[in-house]
Amino acid sequence: MDRTLSPKFVIADQLDLIFPERIELKNGCVLYWMKDVKDEAVKLDIDWEAGTKYQDQKLISSFTNKLLLSGSEELSSKQIDEEMDFYGGFYQMQLDKDHAGITLYGLTENMNDIFSVFSKAFSVANFPQNELDKERTIAIEKFKIEQQKVKVICRQLFTPNLFGADTAYGQVAELSDFDALNSDELRRFFNTHYKTAPTLFLTGNVNKDFIEVLRDWSANFQTPIKTNLIQEFTQTNGRVHHEKVDAIQTAIRIGRLMFDKKHPDYFGFQLLNTIYGGYFGSRLMANIREDKGYTYGIGSGMAVMQDAGYFFIATEVGKDVKDDAVKEIFNEMNKLKEAPVSEEELTKVKNYMLGEFLRQADGPMALIEVFKNIYYNKLPKSYYADFIQAIHDATPQSLQDLANKYFVEEEMLVVTAG
Amino acid sequence: MIEFEKFELDNGLKVIFHQDLTTPMAVVDIVYNVGARDENENRTGFAHLFEHLMFGGSKNIENFDAPLQMAGGECNAFTNNDITNYYDILPAQNLETALWLESDRMLELAFTPKSLEVQRNVVIEEFKQRYLNQPYGDVWLELRPLIYQQHPYKWATIGKNIDHIADATMEDVKSFFFKHYSPSNATMVIGGNLDFDEVKELVIKWFGDIPAREKYERKLSAEPAQNEKREKTIVRDVPSDAIYMAFRMAERTSPDFYVGDLVSDLLGRGKSSRFFQELITEKKLFTQASAYVSGGWEDGLFIVSGQLTSGVSFSEAEEAIWLELNKLHLNPIDERELTKVKNKFKTSKVFSEQPLMNRVMNIALFDMMGKLDEVNNELQKYDAVTSENIKNFAKYLLIPENSSTLKIKAK
Repeated sequence: MDRTLSPKFVIADQLDLIFPERIELKNGCVLYWMKDVKDEAVKLDIDWEAGTKYQDQKLISSFTNKLLLSGSEELSSKQIDEEMDFYGGFYQMQLDKDHAGITLYGLTENMNDIFSVFSKAFSVANFPQNELDKERTIAIEKFKIEQQKVKVICRQLFTPNLFGADTAYGQVAELSDFDALNSDELRRFFNTHYKTAPTLFLTGNVNKDFIEVLRDWSANFQTPIKTNLIQEFTQTNGRVHHEKVDAIQTAIRIGRLMFDKKHPDYFGFQLLNTIYGGYFGSRLMANIREDKGYTYGIGSGMAVMQDAGYFFIATEVGKDVKDDAVKEIFNEMNKLKEAPVSEEELTKVKNYMLGEFLRQADGPMALIEVFKNIYYNKLPKSYYADFIQAIHDATPQSLQDLANKYFVEEEMLVVTAG
Repeated sequence: MIEFEKFELDNGLKVIFHQDLTTPMAVVDIVYNVGARDENENRTGFAHLFEHLMFGGSKNIENFDAPLQMAGGECNAFTNNDITNYYDILPAQNLETALWLESDRMLELAFTPKSLEVQRNVVIEEFKQRYLNQPYGDVWLELRPLIYQQHPYKWATIGKNIDHIADATMEDVKSFFFKHYSPSNATMVIGGNLDFDEVKELVIKWFGDIPAREKYERKLSAEPAQNEKREKTIVRDVPSDAIYMAFRMAERTSPDFYVGDLVSDLLGRGKSSRFFQELITEKKLFTQASAYVSGGWEDGLFIVSGQLTSGVSFSEAEEAIWLELNKLHLNPIDERELTKVKNKFKTSKVFSEQPLMNRVMNIALFDMMGKLDEVNNELQKYDAVTSENIKNFAKYLLIPENSSTLKIKAK
């Protein structure tokens, strides 16, 4: 036995995806149900088109979401939470730039009760002032703590410079925005954005009448009218720095506007990104962490929303090596422009990504997330098969071409804080 | 119910197999019986630094990550005061790649000066990022030495200070490895879409010839019982005053652990919890308040922490916390509230056992604690807790003489 030789391995080139069953409820409400689950864990996502991009006042969408289960003068948030907890239910509010909603977690035996607590709370929601005041106080304290973190300061400078401060995606809340919140505005946002049909994603075994319960509930909603908010973004290029005198590390965020998942370069660029900064063995990690020891971690990635996508690199480094780190980040881009990647590195990344697909699709809870990606980005069902094919087809030359097309230093926004 | 089979190699390596035919993946988890508690007091942070070095190449294999990634796999590790845990997840048909890599580093590390130099820097940056450059990041660096005066739990896994890491030598590294990273000091759990006989054959092939090496016997100074109230105040540039109270309690495997865990849930988990309702909603003294148990393997902690609303004094805040703690032994818990926390626990337990990785890791940790047979008994243990147990727990442990309080005053 020669310990220097790797044992044989096989890389699967297919992914067996199971898609959820589609069930039409009422008034345009659609339920996607992943029912093949071997235990009693049940998860239900209820999603509205109510993300931050729909608000005309900062924090409104976030507080409407936060206070969704805070009840009314007749039914207090305490009663709601007591009941929810009694049935062993958990919930989590969901909010991003496009969507908002709630995820309910529970066991099969309790799910009807958990949903009943939720639907009762939802039907009486009127955003009482005392609940708003309480959540506001808590949120302000959290906000102040976050404001002391260099990575947060950095992200808050990055966002408006990337999208434009006045755009729906570019807005960033400030302390004074908390004071401007009032119950009437939350109610108005709720009436506009939470009274139209949500999309439901259910994973798990439920009692047989649970689907009927959801169907009855869906009768409360109006059929959504599709609003097409077409947005234009203008990115600022060049460097932005925020000095934080007492910081001992500097946060760095570098990026640019990119494309969505339907773009012909998307798959290839994802592969290029993985090589560059998308996994533990990436060029950025190898250089900036494993060779120079400047950081505990560095990574890059793509973020895609309904109306925009962007590419970014993020890290925190010793304050004294900030400029060297930025230089090395661009050096690594340049290396990918100047020389093709080796076949060995390319094979490693291809295999790693195929393994990563398997991990991402492992189990029903993971599969419903895979499906949401396809659903929300309006992708064909063949998306993952196409992705795998594109990874197989990528060559050192095709990746070098993509690097030259998108890794352009002058087109990058460079933000540092610390 | 998590099912498993086990065997042991001649060199002392304990191996446990857990089959899951519903996943395409395999998980290999190796727990080494070494944590920050095994460190020399003048060389703290070493077990964690060592975890980083374990990815810097082994005797026959230059790089740990690359061949694993080549086989579609991913890996990571963590260290705490009790143990060091390494795990790999990869397509099941490539299990052998993980066994090859793990066995070579159990055999011997590469010990390259470059790896030591770089990982020292990486860990120092980790120290800065997580402990020094965050509001409230240094709480545990301050709180541990207040709670423990003898036991090595008195320092955090990251170490007492950066100098200990900066000064680590190659000699230290080598002796640490041979002392702690032996087959008899480890448990390996393999889970996934695999066959027991094939797994056993591969394990013998790769791990069978690793020398047994000397068995490390842990002899730590026990922490004497606490019988005085301890307190410390520090001033920091943070947005609001904060308070952390630690109460010593029994070890992870004792019946008290389950009582303590439920008590912490009823005080501090979720919006219907007593802290949220009383301290945040009703009295508005806090903007955040939580309770949890540390699960230390030798001597655990029950921790209460909170952030004070601006304008509230430490004495008002503390008094309100004590009132809640005292209520636990003055008035019995009603059945509905007890059922509530048990139901919540049951839900989180079912969810936490869904991923293969968690099941495998749980087996490994229970085996390392010497309680493998109890890995499936946890629900019953929580279910068996009575309101009398809770009352006693509060009466004997959640008292001033058993408390260490750290106050962080905003500058």
